[in-house]
Amino acid sequence: MVFTSATFLIFFIVTFLLFHLIKKPSLRMALLIGANILFYLSLGAPYLLLVLGFVTMVSFFFGNWIQKNPDPLKKRFLWAGIIVDLIPLLGIRYLPVFNRHVNELLSALKVSWAVPVPPLLISIGVSFFTFQAISYLIDIYLETQEAEPSFWKFMLYMSFFPKLLQGPIERAGDLLPQLSLDQPFDYGLVRSGFLLFTWGLFKKIMIADRLALIVNPVFANVHAYSGLPLILAVFFFAFQIYFDFSGYTDMALGVAQAFQIRLTNNFNSPYLATNISDFWRRWHITFSRWILDYIFKPLQLSWRKNKKYGVALALIITFFISGLWHGPQLGFIIWGLLHGVYMASSVILGPWTKKVYWQLKLEKTWLLKIWQIFLTFNLVTFAWIFFRANSAQDALYIITHLFSNLHIRTCLSGFLQLPAACQNLQILPGALAFENQLIFLASVIFYIFIAALGKKINLQNLAAGFRWGAYFAILAVLLLGFLFMETKDASYQNFLYFKF
Amino acid sequence: MSTMDQLTHVFREVFDDPGIELTPETTANDIAGWDSLSHSMLILAVENEFKIRFGMKEILGFKNVGDLLKSIQTKTS
Repeated sequence: MVFTSATFLIFFIVTFLLFHLIKKPSLRMALLIGANILFYLSLGAPYLLLVLGFVTMVSFFFGNWIQKNPDPLKKRFLWAGIIVDLIPLLGIRYLPVFNRHVNELLSALKVSWAVPVPPLLISIGVSFFTFQAISYLIDIYLETQEAEPSFWKFMLYMSFFPKLLQGPIERAGDLLPQLSLDQPFDYGLVRSGFLLFTWGLFKKIMIADRLALIVNPVFANVHAYSGLPLILAVFFFAFQIYFDFSGYTDMALGVAQAFQIRLTNNFNSPYLATNISDFWRRWHITFSRWILDYIFKPLQLSWRKNKKYGVALALIITFFISGLWHGPQLGFIIWGLLHGVYMASSVILGPWTKKVYWQLKLEKTWLLKIWQIFLTFNLVTFAWIFFRANSAQDALYIITHLFSNLHIRTCLSGFLQLPAACQNLQILPGALAFENQLIFLASVIFYIFIAALGKKINLQNLAAGFRWGAYFAILAVLLLGFLFMETKDASYQNFLYFKF
Repeated sequence: MSTMDQLTHVFREVFDDPGIELTPETTANDIAGWDSLSHSMLILAVENEFKIRFGMKEILGFKNVGDLLKSIQTKTS
């Protein structure tokens, strides 16, 4: 049940109506837990429910033990809890790949014995709720969070369906207090929830899925392209992943608000960041806060004697783990390491660049700010190549062929006589059907318009006529998108972060 | 010099800002440049100034300057 499917819409509306018809908190709790189970079962992988149940029970009991026991024992329970929580994730996602590599090594060494390779199963949601469970245990250990006494409330905290598959990764301190489920009906919150859901749907269907039409074919067969198509695919992917993931997050936050629960926002205009650490304060915020607090800080503090070299090493290791969290593929690891190296070099080179900017009298000028935004965006986009490419070899091919055989002239003339020229060259396969271009262009203009307007004007303060006009405009655009959509293929509709 | 004055001095040196005034309620959000990257430098500078050593759990549990101050006072008294 994907957020963009009709089945989900029906499921959501029914749960929403029942939730607000029932006033008793215990019944609401039962309803939501039931809905969570149904939602997770709809993925067609029932073992995932067992994994969720296992991690929930382990974290609930270990949380209590960590709280109750004095210090040396407390720490042992913390480590035991973390390790047991990680077992399913490691077993499902990493063991098959690890064992395959071990076997390759064994056969290269001409050893006839091989380790058994477990089947590669889907693990949607597991890495997200495992991280949430670990943060719960650590917060109890640090005494910044009390262990939750109610098992059912804790279960709801772990399984709440809007955030189950792709986060946000919620802190216990933010989400648990909201799960008393006894708030009176708040019309404003519920309405803004539905609006946010629609806005997310718009970002996903009208922008991300349309960008995918150009990005996917190029990345599927990179060797058929060089120059401009590669450059376009690389930059379009940077926008695709933003609109896809932030669209999903808007939808998740919107659905949660319909149940009067506020989840943490994951994005804050990340591509306007002026340096890489600024980027990570704006991109996938709940995840970056997690790796910062639970991996980076302890490492950095243990190596504080080494001053900035300790900080730099802590950054590289933290982002290496961040890459690994996305999957055991080389591309993700290189992507993570690149971000680690970016951050580490800014720690070490930071004072010098500051001096250079000062000497050029650029400090605090808008020119410098634009340059920094441009540079940061390009560094991030470069790293995305490894993230998106099907293999590290493909990524290297893309990087080495970005500027060779550019096709600029042919493509420019192509823009004048849309879209035949580019299509003939197979530069942008199929994706350039005329209606698609028009709808995409209209959507982008509409997005920029609303996003710019939304920063200045609170939609809720507009006169009712304007407000409903804006709602209908979004709905009309969405309808148009559905009618002309070429993305009936399910692989396009899945959210990118489902695999993590 | 009180512990608070001494601590203020360390903050001013580390963040290169003579205008910093601390209260027990001050947090990282109140001081420009006090982010997760500079946090370990600050802790190290505080440890060197007061000739003490914090445990990991202690540092990770500090929520504001007041928590830090309390820990310094217990260690130096």
